[in-house]
Amino acid sequence: MTTARLEDVWRSEAPHVLAALVRRYGDFDAAEDAVQEALVDAARQWPVEGTPANPRGWLVTVAGRRLVDRWRADGARTAREEADARRTTEADVGCHDDSLTLLLCCHPALSRASQVALTLRAVGGLTTAQVAHGFLVPESTMAQRISRAKATLREVDAPFALPAADELPERTAAVAQVLYLVFTEGHTATTGTGLTDTRLAEEAIRLTRELHRHLPAMSEVSGLLALMLLTDSRRAARLDADGTLVPLAEQDRSRWDRDLIVEGIRLVEEALPVGRVGPYQLQAAIAAVHAEAAAADTDWPQVVELYRMLADLTPGPMVTLNHAVAVAEVDGPDAALAMLEPLRGDRRLRHHHRLHAVRAHLLDRAGRPVEARHEYAEAARLATSIPEQRYLNAKATG
Amino acid sequence: MKYVILIHSNPDPWGHPTQRFTAEGRELPDAEHERMDQAFEALMNEIVASGEFVTAEALGDPAASTVFGWTPEKHVVTDGPYAEAKEQLAGFFIIDVATRERAVEIADHFTQPGGTVELRPVMWPGGDDQ
Repeated sequence: MTTARLEDVWRSEAPHVLAALVRRYGDFDAAEDAVQEALVDAARQWPVEGTPANPRGWLVTVAGRRLVDRWRADGARTAREEADARRTTEADVGCHDDSLTLLLCCHPALSRASQVALTLRAVGGLTTAQVAHGFLVPESTMAQRISRAKATLREVDAPFALPAADELPERTAAVAQVLYLVFTEGHTATTGTGLTDTRLAEEAIRLTRELHRHLPAMSEVSGLLALMLLTDSRRAARLDADGTLVPLAEQDRSRWDRDLIVEGIRLVEEALPVGRVGPYQLQAAIAAVHAEAAAADTDWPQVVELYRMLADLTPGPMVTLNHAVAVAEVDGPDAALAMLEPLRGDRRLRHHHRLHAVRAHLLDRAGRPVEARHEYAEAARLATSIPEQRYLNAKATG
Repeated sequence: MKYVILIHSNPDPWGHPTQRFTAEGRELPDAEHERMDQAFEALMNEIVASGEFVTAEALGDPAASTVFGWTPEKHVVTDGPYAEAKEQLAGFFIIDVATRERAVEIADHFTQPGGTVELRPVMWPGGDDQ
């Protein structure tokens, strides 16, 4: 078996194997070590003895044995647990594994950064080095996040089970936030380290698909999946040949992925009438309006209405900014500039480039080029994205 | 988002932790230094545990530096500090945090007698969706 093939098996099977062990023994940390050791065994034995007919069953059995070996060495467990381990069979590998492990990885006792790291490590099956690379931090930092997260789960004795019904929406919301964070990290960094960043976005979509499959009634999960697919459909058009970012209005729409758009729109249409409308569904609906239209005939009044609903649900300066951009398309730049006036003293935006960038664009359209250039320069000064800063500086001097 | 916390100080003699070797630092009683050291250690434990700490280095005496200048004709290499600034770059910390507010909260703990602390965002190669 080649290394690449072995890695494929690891990626697809590790979460199931881990889940089977955690559910039975409740010790996330020890289970993960045992799964790692089982993989090392597999890497040694499979090339010589051939790949077993049932790789997952093999890994569950070997990892279970490894776990018991360790306990025996620790002298801290009883024979009853050994008997339990022998009964760990493939029957324990249920279909809800990924979703349960996701819920565990996004336990409220963990910081957001730890939830993200643990999710990719335990459910995504990425190595610590790959996760670290994706977030541009040293491997030691990522290893620290992961090991502390596992220790915390052990301390709070987090159960490996579906949370109570009244807790489920909140816990699912945490999982959704983590998956969206992984997705945006991968999606927005496409000019960075290429391959790995794409992989983060793909991994987020894969995991969200799994979650959606197991919790089809949670319309915010459908909304999140739709949002990711519709955003990802534009990936090929986001960068020009030089790797420069292309704004939505200027993208070559023939390069958008129609299959992803069709699937994303179907998901939004199914989710919107079900239950309470949430922020992911609204953002997906906005993305769907853009995806359905040629640039010139975007249904801007509908986008304005959707942003108004989003602002009601999750008010904040960033929503107001996007809302104003849409208002400018319907009522003109002066109406939008008036909406932004109260934000100009907002402390939350003091170090943020986006208010200045949007005002610059609106001032330009309102025929006030001198003020526009001043705002572009201010936006460039505050931008932390290298390509965006380059774009804004060009506008400021152009 | 990543930030770098730059510690500007001019300890004499050069040494770390820098606040022990500045004029302002020397005027403080030992007990006060110990209190500050403990508070700083608590902060470090916190940000290591949260995964917000990325890396840090304490820098050597600026007298030990080598400066590389460029002219069209040649590269000019000289020993010693870049400039006789009152405060030198003494060390840096890189943190990876969720918000700027959190970065400010962490950087505030680095304030020290006889030194200046600077918080700067780190640029990144990607771009947000517009």
